Amino acid sequence: MQAKKVIPQVVQQEIALDSYLSTLLDDIPSNTELDQQELKVEVKPQVATQVKTSTPIVEKIITKPDNQDLDVTKPVRPLAVMPEWARSEFQALFFKVDKFILATPLTELLRTIEVDKKPTRIPGQPSWFMGLLDTHEQRIGVLDTGQLIFGKTIGQQRDLEKQPFQRILITGDGKWGLACDEILSIGKLEPDKVRWRTLRQKKPWLIGTVIDELTAVIDVNHLVPHRKAN
Amino acid sequence: MSEDKKQDDPIMQWVTFRLGDEKYGINVMQVQEVLRITEIAPVPGAPAYVLGIINLRGNVVTVIDTRNRFGLMFKETDDASRVVIIETEDHIIGILVDSVAEVVELRGSEIETAPNVGNDETSKYIQGVTSRENELLILVDLNNFLSDEEKQEMDMF
Repeated sequence: MQAKKVIPQVVQQEIALDSYLSTLLDDIPSNTELDQQELKVEVKPQVATQVKTSTPIVEKIITKPDNQDLDVTKPVRPLAVMPEWARSEFQALFFKVDKFILATPLTELLRTIEVDKKPTRIPGQPSWFMGLLDTHEQRIGVLDTGQLIFGKTIGQQRDLEKQPFQRILITGDGKWGLACDEILSIGKLEPDKVRWRTLRQKKPWLIGTVIDELTAVIDVNHLVPHRKAN
Repeated sequence: MSEDKKQDDPIMQWVTFRLGDEKYGINVMQVQEVLRITEIAPVPGAPAYVLGIINLRGNVVTVIDTRNRFGLMFKETDDASRVVIIETEDHIIGILVDSVAEVVELRGSEIETAPNVGNDETSKYIQGVTSRENELLILVDLNNFLSDEEKQEMDMF
């Protein structure tokens, strides 16, 4: 009788074990999920490799250091853009246009004259071209320095009838005259006392600033127009 | 000057006129006549440089406001004002000027090219400049005084 009682316990244990094992085995069918997980795992590396192989980004990253290399060479440029006359101490003429004081090297100028008559205006020319003027030795094209430097908007506000320019700086080639209000002085300038502009794509005539006086240094050769052949 | 050189450097006559402070010259061969100011009839819708039209012995002639054309300020006409009737390559037009001065003779070698720093279109009618009596004379090429489009417009008046 006792043995009969034990058997059901064993059976129950076996059933329980079967049930447990079958449960474990039942979990296995979720193999599909595992497969998917495996797939996902497989996909991830692919994505990663795709990113790696997205060459434009990689190339951009690679090209950057090259640019930086170029930037490293920039500090050399200020010397390269300095005009010949600015390599050592030079004499500059300080003059006034409106309320602004400007400086230009004497080597770029022929002489200065007083405005004793109005230039002859030529029709069809820009407003900054004041006209032609016969001086003692040659005929010069007179330019409204105010308009050339400060732009038409500010420069044109000046009424030249009421407030005419008093002096003209004649360029070294004797072709152009830059009208101004006053000749102030001639002074010596050391190159290291001038902050030279490195980028001169815009306003190429503005080549630097005298650091102490904050006076703009003008290269008149870049300020005057180049005559077109008629 | 030798005879050969004279032929190479012919003399041309120019009628000079004034506009504001400046003196201009036009080839005398292209000047038909000089008129005192008569009634100039405005033309509706005409460009700003066209003052209007006049009846010249039965012919309608367009009168150009030369001050406007040359970018000068407007000025009321007075006793000295004149309309110079000129003959271009294919048109007869009148140009209003402040006054007509004289006829001068110039050698070709005396004429210098004027600097052109602006728009080619607007300045192509300036033939050159010359110095005369301590004054610059601006020589105008009447054949280029009006553009082709403007000449076509003239035909509409």
